Amino acid sequence: MARVRVKASPAFYILLVWFAAVNGLRPLLTVLSAALVHECGHFAALRRCGARVTGFRLGVCGAVLDSNCSRLSYADELFCVLAGAGANLLAAVLCAAAGNPYPAFTGANLILCAFNLLPVRPLDGGRALELLLSWAAGPAAGEYAARWVSAAGALALASGLAYVMHGSGGSLWLLPAMFGLLAVSVRECVGRA
Amino acid sequence: MTTVHRYGKRPAQHRHKRRQRQFWQFMICGTVFVALVAAKLYSPRHAATLRRAISQAMDRNMDIQEVFASVGRTFAGENAPAEGLREVWNAVFLPSDTDAETGQTVTETLSGLISETLSGDAAEPPAGDVPENVPQTSSENVPQTSSGDAPQVRSGDTSESPDTLTRHQWTETFGNSTAFTSLSEPWPETSGAAVIPEPSSDSSASDDTRPEASSDDTRPEGQASFLYTGQNLPQNVGMEQVLLNFDYQCPVHGEMTSGFGYRKHPIDGVERFHYGVDIAAETGTDIVCFADGVVTATGESTSFGKYCTVEHGGGFTTLYAHCNRVTATSGATVHKGDKLAEVGATGQATGPHLHFALQREGVYLNPVYYLAG
Repeated sequence: MARVRVKASPAFYILLVWFAAVNGLRPLLTVLSAALVHECGHFAALRRCGARVTGFRLGVCGAVLDSNCSRLSYADELFCVLAGAGANLLAAVLCAAAGNPYPAFTGANLILCAFNLLPVRPLDGGRALELLLSWAAGPAAGEYAARWVSAAGALALASGLAYVMHGSGGSLWLLPAMFGLLAVSVRECVGRA
Repeated sequence: MTTVHRYGKRPAQHRHKRRQRQFWQFMICGTVFVALVAAKLYSPRHAATLRRAISQAMDRNMDIQEVFASVGRTFAGENAPAEGLREVWNAVFLPSDTDAETGQTVTETLSGLISETLSGDAAEPPAGDVPENVPQTSSENVPQTSSGDAPQVRSGDTSESPDTLTRHQWTETFGNSTAFTSLSEPWPETSGAAVIPEPSSDSSASDDTRPEASSDDTRPEGQASFLYTGQNLPQNVGMEQVLLNFDYQCPVHGEMTSGFGYRKHPIDGVERFHYGVDIAAETGTDIVCFADGVVTATGESTSFGKYCTVEHGGGFTTLYAHCNRVTATSGATVHKGDKLAEVGATGQATGPHLHFALQREGVYLNPVYYLAG
């Protein structure tokens, strides 16, 4: 099995400590366990499709699995992209079916699943949308549509986070995510070379 | 001539872009730093306000664990979707993540969809406001109880801070239904482990339910002893006794173990403001509704444990916390004396008791005035 390079940015650690300090250890563990399920879903799907996972990056906006997907078909890549959300959904269903002993874990998996399916790149939903459109109408059309949907979605999501922060009178640990989404929106509007 | 890197990158260009990015990051950080220093130098008052606002925003957080749990319960079919949605809404926008008992950051859910946030000054009194530093205000400087219906401030009361005056002005808006009690009374007449009597007769608006002052000055162990003024009171706290325009009764009968005001927290030992009263009773004892109203929230939090809140009209809301079981359902109309919950020790509690808090339009009032029959 090839080596997987794991890299975590300093900002990730800061956010981790910040989150734990303001929300406590239990919510942190809940989120991390749901994120682990999510990444395991991606990892298993990539391995199943024969793609090589080269790295695992942890950043302030989440975790990213680096892999070489260039040889995957649209269907396989779509499967790999949606596998993370699928794993979260499966974990939530299994937990609920087992009498729901950890409702927070169930909820965290569902929220992570729903969040990742939002049509905003680089979230899974945005990438899935791009793949679907590229599959149906060609890569150029897919890229064009995904870009604008992603820009609008990121802006809407950033506004939603701002509203949540304003409404809750704080929750400033959402700030990095909000700025990240704004940056995504700008980047998608400007377009990457 | 540009040397092409073997991975196709141009190191020189890459370095240039990186330096450019670092330059702009440095410039932005430097500008913010200089602006903050300038603001602190030229307008320390605004800088302090800004610092306090940021500090408060840092303290306030949604109850993320409760959000997850609500979604999980709804998904598992334990909650109706509407109930789940309401719980999520409450956990995000009206979190009760910190108990009023602990005096830490609190965002109360005492009035349904109205959020009343207590934090900053309310949660942690400023350095000058800690009891040890509170100047022992003479009784002349403290507003005295007016005997008439109309609120009055003693004429000699000229040394009050603007905060105190503002609070009085606020109280005056209550009109004839408001009367002052002495703010110099750190612990109302029911000092020590006062026993809440059985309700011999329910109070009404026309009754003068204010208990008689007692000379007994013994206080429960850990109860802070100092004078309350507008300066050392947290925000959103009123020491006035407001006459209620509806019938009410004591929600549970037992021994009052902790009163309204500063006290040493029984768990962490830190002196903090206690925003309600604690009435100890055996686990499972019925907690009945204080007055007619509508149950605006039921839930569970790490600090309050299982709790429910009831809105009574006129801006009054009550909180019943640390319950063993909440039997009332959110949205239900309840009447005075109806069972709401059972006494327990859920959340941050050292034993079975009811934490009972009373608010009027976001201002915490001392419930003890309304507990004695």
